[in-house]
Parts: sequence; structure tokens; C-alpha cells
Amino acid sequence: MKKTSINKISDLAAELLGKGTLVAPVKEDAGFNFREISNAGQVDLNFYNTLMSPKSAFFPQTEDFVRYDKNKSVLDAQCVDLNLKPVFLFGVRPCDAKSFQIMDIHFSGTGVVDPYWKKRREATTVFGYAFDINTPADGADFYSTLNIGAADPEGSDVFMMKRGDELLLKAVTPKGETLLASLTSLADASADEQKYFDDTVAAGRDFKTRFTCVDDKVIAKKLEDLFHKTEFWEKISDACLSCGACTFVCPTCYCFDICDETLFSKGVRRRVWDACMFTDFTLEASGHNPRTKVYQRLRQKICHKYSFHVRKYGVISCVGCGRCTRNCPVNIDIFSIVDEALKA
Amino acid sequence: MSINFKQIEEKLKSEATKLLEEGKVGVVLAYGKGYDENHPLPFVARKASDVENIVFNEYCTANMARYIVRYPRGTKIAIAVKAADSRAVIQLIQEDKVKREDLVILGIPAYGMKNAKTGEVVDSKTTCGMYNPVIYDTLLGEEVHGQSVVSPYDVLAEYEAMDKEARWAFWKKELDKCIRCYACRKACPMCYCDPCFIDQNKPKWGEKSPESHGNLMYHLTRFHHLAGRCIDCGECSRACPVDIPLYLFHKKVAKDCEEMFGQAAGMSIEDKPALVNFRVEDSDKILE
Amino acid sequence: MCSNNPYIPMPVEIIKIIDEVDTHDIKSFRLKFMNKEDEAKFKYLPGQFSELSIYGRGESPIGIASSPTEEGYVEFTVQRAGAIQPGLVTAALHDMDEGAKIGLRGPLGNSWPIEFLEKKNIVVVGGGFAFTTLRSLINYMLHKDNRSRFGEITVIYGARTPGLLLYKDELAAWEKRDDIKTIITVDKGDETWKGREGFVPAVCKDAAPSPNNAVAVICGPPVMIKFTLPVFFELGFSKENILTSLEMRMKCGIGKCGRCNVGYKYVCSDGPVFSLAELDELPRDF
Repeated sequence: MKKTSINKISDLAAELLGKGTLVAPVKEDAGFNFREISNAGQVDLNFYNTLMSPKSAFFPQTEDFVRYDKNKSVLDAQCVDLNLKPVFLFGVRPCDAKSFQIMDIHFSGTGVVDPYWKKRREATTVFGYAFDINTPADGADFYSTLNIGAADPEGSDVFMMKRGDELLLKAVTPKGETLLASLTSLADASADEQKYFDDTVAAGRDFKTRFTCVDDKVIAKKLEDLFHKTEFWEKISDACLSCGACTFVCPTCYCFDICDETLFSKGVRRRVWDACMFTDFTLEASGHNPRTKVYQRLRQKICHKYSFHVRKYGVISCVGCGRCTRNCPVNIDIFSIVDEALKA
Repeated sequence: MSINFKQIEEKLKSEATKLLEEGKVGVVLAYGKGYDENHPLPFVARKASDVENIVFNEYCTANMARYIVRYPRGTKIAIAVKAADSRAVIQLIQEDKVKREDLVILGIPAYGMKNAKTGEVVDSKTTCGMYNPVIYDTLLGEEVHGQSVVSPYDVLAEYEAMDKEARWAFWKKELDKCIRCYACRKACPMCYCDPCFIDQNKPKWGEKSPESHGNLMYHLTRFHHLAGRCIDCGECSRACPVDIPLYLFHKKVAKDCEEMFGQAAGMSIEDKPALVNFRVEDSDKILE
Repeated sequence: MCSNNPYIPMPVEIIKIIDEVDTHDIKSFRLKFMNKEDEAKFKYLPGQFSELSIYGRGESPIGIASSPTEEGYVEFTVQRAGAIQPGLVTAALHDMDEGAKIGLRGPLGNSWPIEFLEKKNIVVVGGGFAFTTLRSLINYMLHKDNRSRFGEITVIYGARTPGLLLYKDELAAWEKRDDIKTIITVDKGDETWKGREGFVPAVCKDAAPSPNNAVAVICGPPVMIKFTLPVFFELGFSKENILTSLEMRMKCGIGKCGRCNVGYKYVCSDGPVFSLAELDELPRDF
């Protein structure tokens, strides 16, 4: 295990910058966001959690597939290559680190492998970062409901936590191990610090955010049974504006569109995040649309995360990070909906 | 004098109960309990037993007029409105999206409403700065008098001091933040187009990806679709997860419209939307 | 990124365009791979689909109308779409001439379950434009190497008018064969029409195919499906032995983009072919 002093974090950042691309939380107008760091001094670990989830490190809002010229032959289209330096994704909260594993099942663990997700994942070392277990969680968070600890190293390659003015770093995977061993700006941690680290990981498991007992299979079945109870869903969605804010900030929402964006004759085929909350998401060219109503779309979103995903992939597609609740323009709270569904 | 939110809440509940029990309306659009006190939800009461969930406090900023177009024409709707919200109702009546006789308007006089995300008082900064509803059937509290009246356009001072290039740079920077979640248009009571121009694919007016040209196309077009129609409730700005100060543009356009056409949006159901209505004496300044 | 990337289409050339119907809004496009290795990799079964791709317009998922027994090309029958959202890709395709080059991704989705169908009597029921992957299945079963693997084959196919029947030459050829029973019907005939008149459900009822060791494969517009299914239930077909193909809006075609899910199934990768028994397990959300 390694350590460094918090005020020397820029040394660590500089060292990582020397080895590749560093992506870390940066303070912006509306809150912190993961951005590519150009100057080691930018790295700032004084954040609660980022506004946007770190999924964009592997699943950016736009990913270019092919460049083309409409006036030229299909044979002249150029596939866009993805040349990545090693990427260090720094300061990922445990719930978000867990989201990567959930997304792995979908993008690279089942069926056709998504080459972009896989390549970006392989190039990246995830530096997880424990929540401070001595400060109460944000009122919107509910990751303990999803059995995620406040200091859970799962999903990270290297896991970090603060202890006073020190930052402790422990390798979780062989990838993290190799990287940590190569970093010269770090000092070895003491036995005392090792113990503190392990104690905090354990204490983090008992740290309670908003909590309700959710068993994947129980909620999945419950929602299946509720699916056709239109009244339930209409009530739930009375307030819903059907915008995409919740899905865009979500670490486990993966729906995308494939768009041809052309300017004059030149263009690019790319994937762009899409949202099941948008009216035209399921609009067929024939004009048929199975989800014209708000309640049908919100139902799709909730059931996808807490029922369909469990049935298809064996895991709930939500990590309780609270982003959707914090950013909903009308304060809709997925935790309350799940809670209500359980009681319905 | 300060606003007695609890009293308004009680009045709202009793009015809602009465209207539902007497069958005068099918739905009451109001506010309900959220996951905590600072996060009330827009709430629809359909029967008298739903009313107990109604709340009203300083965080009830949502403009319930946004939900009117969701109900089939002819639905009898009771709606709780604050000052700006009442102007949205008027504007919707002007645009024939709802009929006056289908509405029971429950007016809420209030100031000191707060943005739940920032805790900041919204009054004239991001909303229209009025305290009393312009139109109502029942007023759920005392009319507000004696509060200092601040022009909703005062917040434009800094923006108006910028020259053309600076404004362009300002909007380019702000709109570059947009993630295209469309929370602004969905929160807007006047954005009811179906489909929205930006969702059309032929012609395709703007790209879907959150890059400069598509973002500019979406926002600038939306800004102008709302010229003379925006009633300055500020919901677009509060809805925005990345805090784009959309209200600045809307206020600026509203101010210009008011100066040019002598009419603010949503002030009288007798008016016609400024840019829809041609009058010989209208200013030609818009052509400049 | 550029090789074996499921999002990158293979180049194909349109070698033949067939105007199928008298309203000229349905055409068949015969496509030939421009790279030999792409052609070798493109192994498909009846019931699968592909994404037809035109840069600058987008992609459109279309069922494969040819049978894998037809060598040297793949064929797609495409309707010019666009009642509400203009179908950009289909419109562009319809404006193309032979010799034009487009992109193709696939084959995608599951197929008609050939092994399940083997040794059984097959009743194929189609309506209107939805006959395309059924044609693929019929031609596959009728191929001399395959015919003995299947029992009796009955085809019931209907269109609104005689001019809207697809694959007219083939229909005529099938009617002449004695190893397939072909029943063609139109909702309303014209002065030249000598065949049967009547809606598909009623014709199915008249034909009354036996449910013994039989599977019904049904594709058509929603209204046809709605009234045809009860006929087959009454005839005694079980839900396991009634198959259909679903449609949903699709983009990626490989189960990643999240668009076409119905319950826990993705229509593009778990379907598009489902038995009625399987559909009963899913929420009515399509």
C-alpha cells in the first residue's frame, strides 16, 4: 500500500500525466465533472460527487464511427480509429466504480462485444475514491440500498481514501498493482495506515445512505407484475416532464442513437447518447410508436433498470448514486418509486 | 409581513377537496410531497383522498401550467398558480391551448420562492418579479403589498453592457455546456410543439450531438420561438442540470418585445401574442 | 477499430432493382458484396435481417427476402416509409439506380427456427408487405436439397389488391408445383383478377390447415395478426407452434443501443422471431 500527502497530489497527477491521459474531477459552474487534465494543479479531490457520471470515459456522449463524403463512394468512407494512450480515471466514487462492472456485462460481457467500450476500458486504470464516512451522505444518495459500501474498492484498480492530510492508495487489481509499483511520487504506507484502510473499507459497508431492502429478484418480479397496472404508472409519472436529464447523468444508462451528421457533403456517422424518455425514441418510420405516453416511457426506464436488466443480466442496473434525483427538474426520485413499487 | 406558506397549503387543500368533491374539476394540478421538504413534486390530485398529499412551501417553484396541454381538451382542470405561472395560463389561453372556462385558477400570492438546488431566492432574478397572480378564481392568501418591486430586467444590466462580440462569446461558452437533455423545453409551459423542430429529421434542423452548431441551432431557435411568449417563470434555467442561464436571453427578448410592442406576455387574455398579431402602428425596429 | 467492427457496414453494389407493386413504393434490391471475404462471412438463415446503410442518411433494418440457397447476392424488399417521420434511408434507396453502392451490416437477429421446423408441416401465412422473410423461408424449404427435410408446406398470402402482391412470378411458379399448396387472396380484386377474394383470417378458416405436427409462421400488419391468431387457436395450434416476427424501432441491431427492448428481450438480438408462447411472457409494449 502507498500514500502521499494531499497537498502533494499535483506531483502524483504530474507523474500520471507523464504516463498517459489523466481524467479527474474539475470544478465547473454547475459542479464537478470528469475532464481531461492538462495541468497537474487542476486535480482537486474536494468534491462530493460529480454532476455527470464518469461513464463518459468509456462511453462518451458522442463516439465517431466513420467519416464519409456524401458525394463519394461508400468505399471512400474512412473508419475512425481509436488511438488511446493509457488513461487514468482518477477519483471515482465506489458506486460509480461499480457501475462500470454493470455496464461491462452489457457492452463486453454478453453477446456482441462493443469494440469502443472494450478498448477504452482496457486502456484505463480506475482510481476509486472512498466517500468520507464521517460525513453524512447526500440526501439523494441510496447506494447502500444496492449493497455498495461507502468505501468499497470493488470496480477500482487502485482504491484511494483520505486520512487526515494523507491520501492512502491500495492496489485492487494486478493492473493497479503494476501501476502503483511504478509511481515514484508515492511513499510506502505504514502498518497503522494499512489497518486504517481496511477498517474504513469495513466501516463503509455499514455506512447508511437512504436505505430500503431491495432484493433483485423480488423487485424484478414485483415490477413485472405491476407492468400493466396503468394507474400506478400514471400516478408515478404525473410530474415527469419526460426530459433526458436523469438518463444523461446516470452512470448505468447506455441507450444510444446512431446518427449521420453531415455538414455540406462531409459527415460523420457516430453514436450519440439517447434517452428512453424522449418521445421519438421508439417512433418507427411507419409512424407507429409503442410508447407515446409519459407513463409508458417512465415505466420503461424504471422497469429496465430494476426488472428487465435483472432478468437479462442478473443485476440491477442502478448504483444509487442519486444523480437522477439531484438533477430531476421536478424532483422525481427513483428511490421513492422503487420503494412504492415494493409496497404496491 | 411574510408569506404564510402553511396557510396557503391549507387553503389549497380545502379548495382542492371542494372542487373534487363537487365534481367541478377532474384534476387539480398542485404540489405534493417529495423525498424531503426541500424537494416537493408537481402533484395531480384526482380524488378528494389524494388531497392530503398536497404541500406548498417556498420550494414549490415548478410552473404547473406546463402540464395543462397534457390533458385532453375540455378536461376541467384546477391549477395552482403563482404570479408567473398565472401568466403562462393566460398565454396558453391566448394561444388557444386551453379554454378559460375549463380552468379553475387557484392563485397563490408569494415571494421569496427558492431554488432547491442552490437555496437562492428566485423572485425577480430568474422569474418575472411579480408577487400576485394576474388571473385567478380564488386567491389562496392575502395579496402581497409593500414588497419592493424590482424590475425583472434589472438582472440584464451586466449582459446588456456587453457588446455584440462579447455576447456571442458569452452564449457560445454557455451553450457549449449543453448536454441536450431538453429539460429546458420540457419544463417550459410554452414549449408544447409536437414534434419539436429539433426532433424532426426532414428537414433536419440541427444535429443531435451536443456540439456547438447543434446546440446553437436548438437554443437560438427555441429562444426566438418564445419571443413575445415567454412569461419569465425561469423554469428552463432551474431545470438545466448544467446551469446555463437561459433566463438572460429570454428576459432580453421579452424586454425588447415589451419596448417594441408595448405588451408583456401573458398579462391579459384579450391580448394576442405580440409576434402573431399585426398592427399597423407596430414598431419596425424588429426589422433592423 | 476498422476490422470486425459490428458498427461498420460492408460495401455492397445494387445489381438489380425490381419494381414489385403497381403503386411503385415497394422495390426489391439485389445486392452483391464488393469484397469476397465479406460475402464469405455473411452466412444467414431465413428470418434474419440486416441494416441497410447509406452514409448521410442513416441505416434502416430490413428483413432478408432472399434465401441463403440463392447464391451470389442477398435481396431486400423495401417499402418507401414515412407516414410521420420521413424514412430517409428507404426514400434514398428508392431513388437509386442499379450500380449504386451502399453499405450493409448483418446478418442480424435470430431466424425462423429451421431445426424446430424440420419434419413438421409448415403453414406460412403472410399479409401485404410483411411477406419478405416468409418468401426467404419458402424458397429455402423448396430448395431441392431441403425440401425433404420438411413436411407439407401450405402458403396463404394476401394483399389488399392484385397489384400489391409481391413476387408475382414466384407465386405463379409455386402454384404450379405439387409439393407446396399455395393460396393467394386479395381483399378486393379487379377486372383481370381471377383468383380468390377475401381477408386472410377468413381464408385461413376456410383452408383449415390441420394442427397435427404443424407449425404456423405468421407475418403481416397488426390488424391481420389480430384476427388470424384466434383462427389458429380454434384450429388447435398451440402457442409454441405459432411463430411471428416483431418490429420495433432499431438502431444498432446487435443488442447494445437499448432501443428495441420489449421487457427483458431485445427484438434485434433475441428476436425478431418469437413464438406466441414467448410473447406471452413479455409485457405488451410493442
